[in-house]
Amino acid sequence: MSKKYEPIIYKDGVRYFHRFSAHQRVQHVVLFTSVITLALTGFPLRHAEEAWAKPLYNFMGGPDVAPLIHRGAGTILLGLFVYHTIYWISIFYKKHLLKLKQENRLTLKNALLEILNLEMMPNKKDLVDIIHLWKYLLYFTNRPPRHERMSWREKFDYFAPYWGIPILGPAGVALWWRDELTHYVPGIVLNAAYIMHTDEALLAVLFLFFVHWYNVHYAPEKFPAATVWLTGYLNEHDMIHEHYNEYIRVMIENGLENEIKPQNFGGKEYEW
Amino acid sequence: MKKSLPIHFRYHLLIIISVLFSTPTYSGDELNCVLCHKHRGLSRIDENGEFRLFYINQELFESGPHRRNKCKDCHADINRIPHKKAKKVDCTQECHIVEPSGQKKFSHKSVANTLASSVHGKLDKDGAPKEHQADFPGCKNCHDQPLYRPFSAFKGKKVPGVSKRAIGRCKSCHKNGDFAEDFYDHVTTRLHKTRFPKETIEVCAKCHQNKEFRERHKLDDVITSYKETFHGKLMLLGSEKTPDCLDCHIVAGENSHLIESKNTLTSSVNKNNLANTCRASECHKSAGAMLTGFQTHVTYDREKYPLQFYMLVFFKALMAVVLYFFLTLIFLELLRRLFPSFTFFKEKQRDDYHEYVKLIKDKDLDNQ
Repeated sequence: MSKKYEPIIYKDGVRYFHRFSAHQRVQHVVLFTSVITLALTGFPLRHAEEAWAKPLYNFMGGPDVAPLIHRGAGTILLGLFVYHTIYWISIFYKKHLLKLKQENRLTLKNALLEILNLEMMPNKKDLVDIIHLWKYLLYFTNRPPRHERMSWREKFDYFAPYWGIPILGPAGVALWWRDELTHYVPGIVLNAAYIMHTDEALLAVLFLFFVHWYNVHYAPEKFPAATVWLTGYLNEHDMIHEHYNEYIRVMIENGLENEIKPQNFGGKEYEW
Repeated sequence: MKKSLPIHFRYHLLIIISVLFSTPTYSGDELNCVLCHKHRGLSRIDENGEFRLFYINQELFESGPHRRNKCKDCHADINRIPHKKAKKVDCTQECHIVEPSGQKKFSHKSVANTLASSVHGKLDKDGAPKEHQADFPGCKNCHDQPLYRPFSAFKGKKVPGVSKRAIGRCKSCHKNGDFAEDFYDHVTTRLHKTRFPKETIEVCAKCHQNKEFRERHKLDDVITSYKETFHGKLMLLGSEKTPDCLDCHIVAGENSHLIESKNTLTSSVNKNNLANTCRASECHKSAGAMLTGFQTHVTYDREKYPLQFYMLVFFKALMAVVLYFFLTLIFLELLRRLFPSFTFFKEKQRDDYHEYVKLIKDKDLDNQ
């Protein structure tokens, strides 16, 4: 778990920057496998009237088997959600709270404030970056934003399941155990669960399909697919475009200050 | 030169030969009606300008429950062929089939009486005709000629068709005629539903999805709202197990002709009986009584279903905001790639990244 990763590696003369540990990459694989399975077994039901629904549903096992697959994948996804929450809490403890303790500053207030320093936590810089991006996209400036290790887009992608799973998961569990549940709660809860489950699922799938897959598949420099989710390392070209501040910091830390490349905006050869 | 037969004799010979060779293929055809009605083109345009087809597909007729009836059992006013325009069939008249349990002549009269006492009956409780008489269904509004769908159950497996093993046991005593076959079809066909859920929905939708009909009777679009439920989704995907209209709306122990208004005390969907309807042993048998709080026919009407209405508005709005924000962003970003360096407000062409690196080094990040 605590394997040390080289911050920079070289392959075929290209510089690669470390982004994700194997542990994180495995979590991502479990995440997208279960989400795709859930979508394939759920959407033929949501859109049962469409011509594609019946063949797809039958391919996924039909009315007898597809629900079992759906519930199995849902259970795995909820399990991953709990696991990941424990994962970041343990990181928070090791990397943040223990540090506070060593510095003898461990109070409740400091601990809560320390949460804001977590890597994925949205902050003021993200707001600045979003505003800057719109300025850039609307031609008010010719310099794209300079992101830190985690850009606001990645944070949004990260918090999307953190909003989606707490809505989809309990609603799905309620619809699964509907008979048992109605001993304790009125049936209209199931009406609410139905809307929560189906409409939030549509939002999640459309977001993943258009926005997340644009970021990692459709974007010209990524097409047909980014590789960072497999290797854990991002090449220098993309690093400069997506995480320029982080790029500079890592280069300095590794004594490569003289080899830092400019953000090359405004040049004819400029690429996003 | 060969002498030909007189013309009238040839004509008679033709009839005699055709009668001889088209022996009735089913026992009910005493008058040999099929002689003419076997022709696929036998049709006419009636007084209302509608196309009427009088062709009888014998194969289909033979696989239906009326196959032992004689034509005249139902078309009682036809006594000779060729015949004049026949009256409409009255399903409540007695036919020649003797009902084996009571040795009485069979009639659909009791079914008609049940229908008359249901929400679909033409008269109200006081015997006064309800409004819009023409909207209330008779037999043929829902029924076409049904077909037998027998099945064999053997070693726990259910397969369509007549079971040779089962019928063999019947035939050890009931050797005469087709009695065993008829009885087998009669019973096994009724052990499952005659129609697929999809067909049942189509039958009910003929009236209940018709907009003018619903407005006349102040009814919600229950077909569309049914299709929104998991029951309806599985129906659309061709499931035979999913509940259709009849499974919830028939009074327990009754047949499909007794569908009652939810305001009638004995109705299966009356709020006092609903829990037991849902908790039928085949369905939600372990459910709590509060399951009845689930609203099946949700129309998302703001006044009738405020919770669902506002939840839907919330999720649609959320979806619109998130997707429009990001799709606009992606569109502009793709466009930006075509003009990467264009700007209305050209900043100084600063090749100042060395300075910037220094800034970062001094951790003065907010100052970029």
